[in-house]
Amino acid sequence: MSVELTNYVTLSAVMFFIGVAGVIVRRNPLIVLMAIELMFNAANLALVAFSRAWVNNAGHIFVFLVVTVAAAEAAIGLAIVVAVFRRAKNVDLDEVAGMHG
Amino acid sequence: MNALLLACWLLPLAGAIVIWAFGPQLRRGAGPLGSAVVFASLACAGSLFSQASNETGVGETLVTWIPGYTFGLRLDALSLLWTLIITGVGGLIHVYSIGYMWSDRAFARFFAYLNFFVFSMLTLVLSDNVVGLLVGWGLVGLASYFLIGFWFYKPTAVAAARKAFVINVVGDIGIMFAIFALFASTGSIAYADIFAKAGTLPVGVLIAVCLGLFVGAAAKSAQVPLHTWLPDAMEGPTPVSALIHAATMVTAGVYLIARFAPLYNLSPTAQSIVAIVGGITMLTGAVLGIAQWDIKRILAYSTMSQIGYMIMGVGVGAYQAGVLHFFTHAFFKAQLFLGAGIIIHALNDEQDVRKMGGLYRRMPFAFWAMLLGTLAIIGFPFFSGSYSKDAVIYGTLERGHGILYVAGILTAGITAFYMFRMIFVVFFGPERDDVPDVALAIPEAAHVAHAEDHDAAHAPEWLMRLPVAILMVPTVAAGWLSIGGNTSPWYRYFGTLFGTSENVNAPPLPIPELASQFIVYAVVTVGVVIAYLRYGTPAALRGSVERLRAEALAMPVALERAFWFDDAIAFAIVRPAQALGAFIGRVLDPHVIDAAVRDIAWLAGALGLVARALQNGLVRTYAFTIAIGAACFIAYFAFVGIAGR
Repeated sequence: MSVELTNYVTLSAVMFFIGVAGVIVRRNPLIVLMAIELMFNAANLALVAFSRAWVNNAGHIFVFLVVTVAAAEAAIGLAIVVAVFRRAKNVDLDEVAGMHG
Repeated sequence: MNALLLACWLLPLAGAIVIWAFGPQLRRGAGPLGSAVVFASLACAGSLFSQASNETGVGETLVTWIPGYTFGLRLDALSLLWTLIITGVGGLIHVYSIGYMWSDRAFARFFAYLNFFVFSMLTLVLSDNVVGLLVGWGLVGLASYFLIGFWFYKPTAVAAARKAFVINVVGDIGIMFAIFALFASTGSIAYADIFAKAGTLPVGVLIAVCLGLFVGAAAKSAQVPLHTWLPDAMEGPTPVSALIHAATMVTAGVYLIARFAPLYNLSPTAQSIVAIVGGITMLTGAVLGIAQWDIKRILAYSTMSQIGYMIMGVGVGAYQAGVLHFFTHAFFKAQLFLGAGIIIHALNDEQDVRKMGGLYRRMPFAFWAMLLGTLAIIGFPFFSGSYSKDAVIYGTLERGHGILYVAGILTAGITAFYMFRMIFVVFFGPERDDVPDVALAIPEAAHVAHAEDHDAAHAPEWLMRLPVAILMVPTVAAGWLSIGGNTSPWYRYFGTLFGTSENVNAPPLPIPELASQFIVYAVVTVGVVIAYLRYGTPAALRGSVERLRAEALAMPVALERAFWFDDAIAFAIVRPAQALGAFIGRVLDPHVIDAAVRDIAWLAGALGLVARALQNGLVRTYAFTIAIGAACFIAYFAFVGIAGR
């Protein structure tokens, strides 16, 4: 029994919304970063699935780009978390609201 | 390249820059250096004499502004005369200033300014086009401003400098509009092109240009009603009064009208206006000269009056006579001011003639200098002033201006009166030691520094005497150049430079020149005799202190207020301008301009108050907002579809 395109896209959508929910509801920045990774990989899954369905390798190539950018993003994100922790002595995102208007 | 001409023009500028930059290092060396560059400039101009003393002279194109429009220098008979006076008399006054300013803290700055003035004045007279003329015109105004306000710790000096500058700007504007009109109608800025096309100009343009130029001339040359700055300008150091406000700058108006003779010759109306204003100034200055107690203000009003003669002379078309009066006046007025400077210097900056008296015994040299200058200015026979003044007065008669002729003779009499009044009050009678010392209106610190320096070093006395002694020669003899009328060296020097004037008002009265001269001498004698009877007799001299005090109290209000010229200008221009300023300051600025700015700022602030509620600083809120936005975006394409499908 073959896996249909619909299954891949459904899984991708589910992963993506788990990621969105994680970013919105969690207060720990590390978890938020992981949630963001989840969204990236949901997108990657969709790209690979469509790429295979249309027999077009552009999607595969694009996944490599996304993975690279995600790695860079994670590095910067973790650096910000460390910097914030040094200043504020906690990593609760709701406590770090110095940019409010 | 004519290196001599360039050197003549630029040497004083170089001097000004070097002295300005290295003043502290040069110290007293600034004086000799400043004098040397001016004399070097004189030598350059003098060595060009034979080439330049004709109508075309020598020229030099400096810069091409736009193809077809060039800036350059031209040294012809007229500008050569001015150049020689500026650098010659100017050089002597530089030497005098070394002695006069010896103990001043800003010794070097003074010479930087003086050299800058000489450069500016040379720019004015050497330019071969109207734009260069205006540049020089503005620069001499600036130099005058610097030098009147040289003692900037005296509020009166600062006010006088400002007044001179503002009134001169009025004149600059007149010249500017004349230049606009000339350029619009001839398409050129060069004198040569303008004069070549002068005959083709419409009468209206011609009159407008001539009057515009005359506004400039009147402001610079202290003609009524733009003369009020000149007496105030005496706040500057005395050498400045001698150089700028007697010998050179204030006669720039005479130069301007003589330079534009080809235009004025074609417009008898403009000529008559110039001559009449000159005549009014001549008489007004002389009458006001009677009422002054400050020795420099007496000389200032006499300068104004004598420039009135010059302007009247060039106005009626007697250019050689008017310019001759400039020539002789430059010597004898410089002489008078420098003589007065010796007195003022010796009396620790006292300028009130009522506190002088009997100085003949203490300062015989100053007395002889002043007496020679006075004899020259009143037109005593065989002194320089008599030739030039008679020539101007007779010039008005020859061209049928009877009223101006009578006014000229009358003014000569008044001049004799007030000049000898000064001589008697200052040099004869008892010394007025009882009069308390002057309290100078300068801050204590400056005064003390001045006094200490004064004690520390005195300039050698000959530094101030030598220039005065040299000036005595032309003061007496400068007029002899014009002996012989139209065949004299003076008239041959100019040739046909000025063209022929058409301004003949009426057939001349049948008075021969010699008879006219004797009429002038008779009136001058009357003036001297009245001065003697009133101030010079032994009886008058004995009680002079009380008499002068009584006379000061009884001074007619009209003379005391100098015919209300300052009050009229204050009423007609200054107060309305102040009222306008007050209106702008109290109403327009706060309630319109500031209000607009304030209200726009308030609006931005109000919008910001609403917007800041969205910015709570919580990352999760932002993320949620982004998610909502993304959801809306997707929903739009999901339900509405991409445009066109």
